[in-house]
Amino acid sequence: MASEPQRGSREAYDYAEVRNRSDQQSLRLRRVSSRVSNHNYPENDLRPTPAEENEEGDSGPPRELKTIPLPMALKRAVRQAQEMHVPVVSRRQAWRRRKSLHKLKEKARECLHFFTLWRKSLQKIGGNFGGGVESYFLFLRFLVVLNFVSSLLIAGFVLIPSIVFRSVGGSAVNGTGPDECTVYDPNPQGLDLFYNYFLNLLSGTGFMEYSYLFYGYYNNTTVEDRNFSYNIPLAYLFTAVFYFVFCLICIIARMGTAAQVAVATGGGAVGNYSVILFTNWDYGCQGDQATKLKQKNILYRLQVDLEEESRKKKTAALTLGQKLILYSLRVFMFLVSLGLIVAACYGIFKATNFSQIKSGVKGILGLVYEYLPSIVITIANFLVPLLGDQIARVERYSPSNTVIVALLRAVFLRLVSLAVLLFTLWRQITCEGNIESPNCKLCHYNYNDHPCWETRVGQEMYKLTLFDFLVNFALLFLAEFPRRMVVDNWSSKLAQWVGRQEFVVPANVLGLVYGQTVVWTGALFCPLLPLINTIKFILLFYFKKTTLFYNCRPALRTFRSTYSTVVFLVVLLFGWGLATVVMVYSLAQISPSRGCGPFRFFPSMWSIVPTSFYRLSETTQDFLFFIGSQSFSIPLFALSCVVMCYFVALASVYGKSVALLRAQLKLEGRDKQFLVKQIEELSRHQILKHTAGAYE
Amino acid sequence: MGTTASQLGKDLLSEYQELTFLTKQEILLAYKRFSELLGKDEKDVLHERVPMDRILTLPELKSNPFRKRICYVFSTSDSKNGSLTFEDFLDLLSAFSDSATMEIKSHYAFRIFDFDDDGTLDCGDLEKLVNCLTGETDETKLTAEEMRQLISNILEESDIDKDGTVNLSEFQHVISRSPDFVR
Repeated sequence: MASEPQRGSREAYDYAEVRNRSDQQSLRLRRVSSRVSNHNYPENDLRPTPAEENEEGDSGPPRELKTIPLPMALKRAVRQAQEMHVPVVSRRQAWRRRKSLHKLKEKARECLHFFTLWRKSLQKIGGNFGGGVESYFLFLRFLVVLNFVSSLLIAGFVLIPSIVFRSVGGSAVNGTGPDECTVYDPNPQGLDLFYNYFLNLLSGTGFMEYSYLFYGYYNNTTVEDRNFSYNIPLAYLFTAVFYFVFCLICIIARMGTAAQVAVATGGGAVGNYSVILFTNWDYGCQGDQATKLKQKNILYRLQVDLEEESRKKKTAALTLGQKLILYSLRVFMFLVSLGLIVAACYGIFKATNFSQIKSGVKGILGLVYEYLPSIVITIANFLVPLLGDQIARVERYSPSNTVIVALLRAVFLRLVSLAVLLFTLWRQITCEGNIESPNCKLCHYNYNDHPCWETRVGQEMYKLTLFDFLVNFALLFLAEFPRRMVVDNWSSKLAQWVGRQEFVVPANVLGLVYGQTVVWTGALFCPLLPLINTIKFILLFYFKKTTLFYNCRPALRTFRSTYSTVVFLVVLLFGWGLATVVMVYSLAQISPSRGCGPFRFFPSMWSIVPTSFYRLSETTQDFLFFIGSQSFSIPLFALSCVVMCYFVALASVYGKSVALLRAQLKLEGRDKQFLVKQIEELSRHQILKHTAGAYE
Repeated sequence: MGTTASQLGKDLLSEYQELTFLTKQEILLAYKRFSELLGKDEKDVLHERVPMDRILTLPELKSNPFRKRICYVFSTSDSKNGSLTFEDFLDLLSAFSDSATMEIKSHYAFRIFDFDDDGTLDCGDLEKLVNCLTGETDETKLTAEEMRQLISNILEESDIDKDGTVNLSEFQHVISRSPDFVR
């Protein structure tokens, strides 16, 4: 028991360091003997403060009172002590100025709080369902803001000038080429039945086709006033390109902040158990039921982790034969899943072709044919992950790897299915790449089927967006609410086994990424699509929130929040990449329609840039040539390499210093144990001496 | 809202804003909730001390497994009975608020987990912690073997100086590596 006193009250932390100390220094323990022997927390220990303050003088702004872990009364005392340590008058003024600046910052922060969108809802969601679910809603909010700002951009540079200059202005270039290509009559003749309006609304045809919604309506107007000129085709092109660049910058900026956190935490290098135990503080406020569920959740996680550890030990002891079987099984399952994805893609390909063939049919059947690609994509995206779950069960990866593999498969499926849809469309438009084929020979695109092919593509994207939204809405009413009512009111074993719905974050995030990719792909052809998407995502937020609170129970398997933000953004980048490929291909390769749109008289959409370029002044041309030339780009490239090397070196230095400090801490602990042993020995010696002396 | 604001003077309000992480609206809301906890004859909201069982009737604390520990840690009463004054209540809310720093949160979390109040987390504290987190009933407890393995794993991961206990700085080190805590 001699070592007991060591551990107990000696470790009072010098909280009262009212200087501006860094976080690393708080790791160092200060042994201050406490007044009261039993009290291990320094509530009563204010002694060191005045002495140390006088030694160091006024070394910078005092530590914020909020961050001192003391009761309120003692914080007041510390503040009084602080205020007394500003003796000189001029220092007092500086101190007062700092305080008022501080107050101003606080007020600004409070104002900003007020303007943050949905702050209270997110807080409620996070408090009741945890960080994982909250990260989904944060992601959704980010997408809403991104879409809103982009739609403002597009509206400002393309839509409003188009509206304003519609009546004014003539075209910059006059048309050359065969007359059949310029025929484009989107408005149907004759009476329209009422329900046709509704069908047109859903499929983007009819009265919606020749409107600001689609590319075909915009004109080739170039306004040139005395000191003002506005070239609409150029503006259209540049806005589309800048929209992509802007989205990329936003995503990378957001990923940077999230990745900072992920790097700081070392990617989970510290073991799992401590983290699970100490940081599962994520307690909701929903009452007994939810708490019991959370407790079950933690128990489940601990048991799973312990079991996985013992399983790892077992697998390390697998014989060669068993390992061979396991790996060959995994390869086989990989091929099976690949086969499933290929089958789904083939289905989409066939459906798109079929839908294009039947594109003239009217009525409800026509609507079904129009929506056939979307329907097939949705079914594939629903079925294949289910089958993927079964496959994963055979593969027997560790639980964390299973989640990653499932996520990757689902992402791959979603994006590839979209790519296949686009590929089939493009094949039809360019007659399978064969310019000489009879349909495409005249105008370099398939003008028979698609007099205005950009509008056609825009319509497809519009339909995909709308269908995605309708499916979500329908699922809410047809699947989630009824499920909850059945489970709550029908107390059979089956109902309890099925249980209330769980809010599955990865699947929902993939839905968002898919929707956003569709919007990016379609933005060039349907300029109002970001605005429609903003409205769709806002409504989706409220729908998902409603279903979360009414129909869902807290998840059995939690989802790490900060790491997952980075994963979501990386997946979003994949979608962005796909959309960029599509945009670049359409801009550079396919000739624009002659009958519609702002690029109707150009051989390709990009060719307007060189045309306008040569109209700029000489000096501007020279300057731009210089920027593109080697003598500028190579030094720039070298400079960015140097900057990147600097940051990499800095990061490695920080990592090394963390490891060093850890080792130092270990050594200090060993020193302590060594000294304790010495003290024990010495005291034992003393006792022996005493007793020996007493006997003599 | 107007009457409660006038009962809580402007000076006092700004002082509380300076000493805690709460905003003005949050402090006023806390004042309202705390005054609801008082009995009919207890009028002085600021200086009255509310016993622990009344604090535990708050719906947010009622099902929290650590509710008693929380009251004990934040209580400034001499008899250590877990009763809270209004200022203790504000300290509690401030430590749990979103804008509280990691140091504050980890300091108080450590104190809440330290069931025997000896300044470190030893095996007994860790075992009580695990039982609190997984539920106290027999069917939700880990087996003795699992518990032993779990505690030895935890000590292996977090006990840097190998003295058999987790002290505050080791605890803060573990916490700072968790992605959920670093915002």
